[in-house]
Order: sequence, then C-alpha cells, then structure tokens
Amino acid sequence: MSADISVVLQPPNPPKALTETTAMDFLKIDQVTKKYGDTTVIGGVSLAAREGEFVVFVGPSGCGKSTLLRLVAGLDEVSSGSVHIAGADVTEVPPAARGVSMVFQSYALYPHMTVKQNMSFGLKMIGTTPQEIERRVNDAAAILKLEALMKRRPKELSGGQRQRVAIGRAIVRKPKLFLFDEPLSNLDAELRGEMRVEIARLHQALGVTMVYVTHDQVEAMTLADRIVVLRAGLVEQIGAPSELYDRPVNTFVAGFIGSPRMNFLPMTVAAQHGNRLRLIGPALRTGAIELVLRNNAVLKPGDVVTLGLRPEHIRIGGEAPIALNTQVDYVENLGGNSQAYVRTAGGTALTVQAAGRLVAARGDSMLLTASPEHAYLFDADGRAI
Amino acid sequence: MATMKHGSRFWGKGAHLIGLIALLAFTLFPFYWMVSSSLKDQTDLLASPPVWTFVPTLSHYAEIWQDGKVSGAIINSLIVAGCTTLLAVVLGTPAAYSLARFQFRGKKDLWFWFISNRMISPIVLALPVYLLAQSAGLLDTHLVLILIYLSFCLPIVVWICTDQFRSIPTDIEQAARLDNANQWDIFWRIYLPLGAPGIAVSAIFSFIFSWNELLYALVLTRSDVQTAPVIATSYMSGYELPWGKIMATGTVIVLPVTIFALFVSRHMVRGLTMGASK
Repeated sequence: MSADISVVLQPPNPPKALTETTAMDFLKIDQVTKKYGDTTVIGGVSLAAREGEFVVFVGPSGCGKSTLLRLVAGLDEVSSGSVHIAGADVTEVPPAARGVSMVFQSYALYPHMTVKQNMSFGLKMIGTTPQEIERRVNDAAAILKLEALMKRRPKELSGGQRQRVAIGRAIVRKPKLFLFDEPLSNLDAELRGEMRVEIARLHQALGVTMVYVTHDQVEAMTLADRIVVLRAGLVEQIGAPSELYDRPVNTFVAGFIGSPRMNFLPMTVAAQHGNRLRLIGPALRTGAIELVLRNNAVLKPGDVVTLGLRPEHIRIGGEAPIALNTQVDYVENLGGNSQAYVRTAGGTALTVQAAGRLVAARGDSMLLTASPEHAYLFDADGRAI
Repeated sequence: MATMKHGSRFWGKGAHLIGLIALLAFTLFPFYWMVSSSLKDQTDLLASPPVWTFVPTLSHYAEIWQDGKVSGAIINSLIVAGCTTLLAVVLGTPAAYSLARFQFRGKKDLWFWFISNRMISPIVLALPVYLLAQSAGLLDTHLVLILIYLSFCLPIVVWICTDQFRSIPTDIEQAARLDNANQWDIFWRIYLPLGAPGIAVSAIFSFIFSWNELLYALVLTRSDVQTAPVIATSYMSGYELPWGKIMATGTVIVLPVTIFALFVSRHMVRGLTMGASK
C-alpha cells in the first residue's frame, strides 16, 4: 500500500469583502467602533443586510455581538462610524425613532402590566388610537397564540409564553427592523427548539429584516440567511450558513460553526510541489499524506499546519486516503447515534460521530478514516490555505 | 437513628420557640406596662411592689379627653407627619431614580451626603436649628417641624428607593425607551409602580419617625402646634407626675401608628429584605 495519497480539495470561494455593501442594503453598519474608556469592545465593524434578510451575529461570550446589536438599536452610542437603516443615517437618532423593535434575552416585560398592557404600551406611547391598538394587539396575539393569556401578568406565564409576549410586543409596533438579543437562551432545550421554529415562521410570515444574536451555532445555522461570526469585537467571517460550514476562513470559524466542533490535528510540511503539499504526522497510519492547497500559499519543509476534520465526516474503520490510528477515551451512546472521544498517538484529542450504538472500551484501538473532500487545512496562524 | 433525629429536631424547635417568646416578652413588656398603667387607678399605679391584678378604670382616658389637648396634638402630628411623608416621597423618589440610573459628576459625594445626614446626632443640631428657626420667624409653626423632619426623612427615602430602583433590570428601562417612553414616562410608568414596595417602606419609616419625634418638637414648638409626644411629656410639670394620664396619652398616641404598622407589616418585611436574594 502506498504511503503517499494525493488528495484534491474543493476550490475555495473567496471570502466576501466585509465592507462590501450595495444600494439595496437595508441595514448598513459602517466602520462602527465602541469603546468604554480604554477598552475597545467593537473595533471597526462594517456589514450590511438586505431587506427581509435574517442575519445572525454569532460568537463566544464577550465577543461584542450584543453590544453591536445595541448600537444598531441606539441603546448605546457608537464611538465612531455610522449606522444606516432603510437608507437613513440613524447614528444620532434616538432608539424609538429608528423604527426598530428588540426582543431581549431577559424578555424585559413590564412586570406590573398584563400581557395586553405590555403589548399595547409602545403603541400608547406614540399616541395610537385605542381602536387601532386593540386591532394590532389582537392580530399579534392571534399570530402568537396569546389570546387566552391577555389578562395575565408576566409572573403568571411560563418562559416560552413570556418570550412570545416579548415577540408580540415587538410585532405590534410594525418595525422596519427586528432585533433579537439571545432570545432563547433562558429556555430549556425542547422549548428552545419549538421557539426557533416559531421565529423562523414569523420571519417568513412578516418578511421583515431580522438581526439575531446568539452564541448557539445551531440557532445560527438553522435560522440565518447570513451569519456574521464575531470575535473580540471584530468580524471574522460573513456568509451563508453552508458557506461558513464548507469554507471557513480560519480555525476560529471552523471550530465555532458545526457541532460537535471541528477536530484539529497538527501536521508538519514535508515538501511542497506547486499547490501540492506533502504532510507528515504521528497520527497518520500511512505516515504521510499529500493534499492540494486551496490557495497559492507557499510553505517550506518543517512548517506546522493544521488539518481540520469534522466529527460527522470521520468514519470508524474502512479504507480512505486519510487514516488515523487512535485509542478510545470514552464513548457516549445517544440512542440513535454515538459519540466517541479518542486520542491519537501524538496525544491530540478527537471527537467522532457514528450512527448506531458503538461498543468500545477505554484503551481500545480505533482506526478512523476520512474522505479528502472533507478535509480542511490551516496555516500556523490559523488561516485557511 | 430516625428517632434521635426526630428528637433533636423537636428540641431545636422548642428552643427556637422559647427564644422567640423571650424576645417578644422583652419587646412587648414596655407596651404592656404602658397600657396596663393607663388602666390602673392612682393607688394601684404607685403600689410597691407593683400589683399585677387590678380593677381596670378608664378615668385617665376620660381626663385626657376632657383636657382636649391630646386630640389637637394628634391633629398637629397628623399634619406634620403626613406633609413630611408626602414631601419626602415626592422629592426623594426622583432623587433616588437619578442616583440609581444616571452617571453625573459628584454622584458619590451626593450619595455620601445623603447618608451622612443620618450619622449626626439630632441633639447636636438642636441649638443651631432653634436659632435659625427663630431668626426666620418659624418657631411654633407646622412648617418648621416639616422642614426639619424632611431633612431627616429625605435620606431614608433616597436611601431605600435608590436600592429598590437599582434592583429593577435595566433591560426593562431600555425596552421602554424603544417603546418611545421618555425619561418622565419611564420614571412615572415603570420605576414608580415597580418601586412601590420600597417607596411604601420609606413612607412608613418617614411617617413613624415624624410621628414619634420628640426632641425638635419640644424645642421648636410652644403651644399652637405641639405634637402628640410633646403633649404626653407636658403633663410632667413641677412636683406632679400624673403617670396615669401620661400612660393613657402614650397609649392613644401609639395606637394609630401601631394599627398602621400592622396593616403594612407585610410590605415592610418585603421592603427591608429586598435585594437580599434574586
């Protein structure tokens, strides 16, 4: 059996310029920064959303995604840069005049008011007639199945019901732009799934532009037309969910998008011939593999690169160009499928997903194989190559 | 094992109960003594050792009723305590809101100034206050007592309400801002209703303080606007100590605030423990 296997990776799509916007952009954030004293929370973010688009800001805690949303809402002032909604510069416009509605993580319902009063408060504040308030509140209640709860106060509602009221309060004002700040993070897993579907339906029904903040990449993948991945106040990548999954620009995005997260294996460059890269690593059963670069990166022998493999793309046993010798640490049986935590000879921990129930004990040897089209390569700085 | 556990729990509960009864007896005994003394005749009152069983009499109550001074004093107390409480709440809640939610220069100093007002012993200020009131021509008026009490009650209201307003999540205020509510709407429609327990507690404390205050009432009033506690002590004159009348007056004075406190005790406990747990 040959030790060298040549693998051709799919050609990459070049990442979109982050500042690339068009006249059709409904929401435009232009070089926005936010500083608290000497601390920079948002460091020059530019992005745009088309009308009716569902954009999700995703990133780990503290990456600035909620701050960015609050800057769009006008609840915080930008330190520099501008925010445009429906073609108008709203950077200096107060929150209520921006035509946005926001659903908060904590629901932020008025505890002393009934569901109906909560939903009508905003309309009352802008002087809407009682008949119009009644009509709009009833319409929203019908969409969100809140009719039976109208006289209750928030403390008499379940978490899911409170969240629906918060969404209802946002709907009645007929905003140009909906903002959601981690709206499902206080709900249990089952309810979270249900509400996710409801929000997706709502987006289809209303056709309004929505910006949604979450740290949950499953929510991001299922809801978004486009995802904005943030880290430390900067945009790492913007793209459709499939684009981020298939062509992450760096190890951060690759690790963040997809669940369980992508496995990363350190490899050493043995040689480069044009766009073909020969890699060696202790975990490889064959000792070495040859991959084709996605771009024209130039590497030299001895350079360290990272091989990325998603858990769902790894098979146990079989024959494939990429083959890894590992030892089992732990196996989780989840009913319909299993998850194995294994370790390579070099000590790198990997996660593998397998259909059905996997029977393996700690210390058992396990051969893992993967198809080359599912492999990702990153340079020493973590950039996709 | 289970019996031992059961037994120790029984003794634990017993000790707890005895402790509570002892505390209650210690707290309530002065009240019992005041009420029982107001119902004793002069002989029983001065008996030594004191008598524990006696034939109750309402003669002292009849005396103070005929006197007419107590009802006038209670009206004065109601005016002073009522106005002080109202003004303290009206002025204190917006101050508390700004201290709880806004950043401004000197905020910490202002906060300390409010607290430090309560650190000074009232007697220290009695003479300067008397001289000020005299030069302003305010001696023996309701206004002087209201102003003085306000300076004591305002910090209480600001202190309690600031804490209460701080406990209201800022998300709610921001939701209201997005709902087109201006600063006044947010204060009036959101903070005041949600801060009601704290406001009620601070109002109760202000009222009780103003109702019970003796020192300044004694120093700053002579006859026209004497408050209830002043009247009670006014019977102590020369060589005469009419304990029956004093105790009957005391009982009549504490009755309104006691009933008031019983009604609002639930709010008081809620207000005092607020912020203790989420």
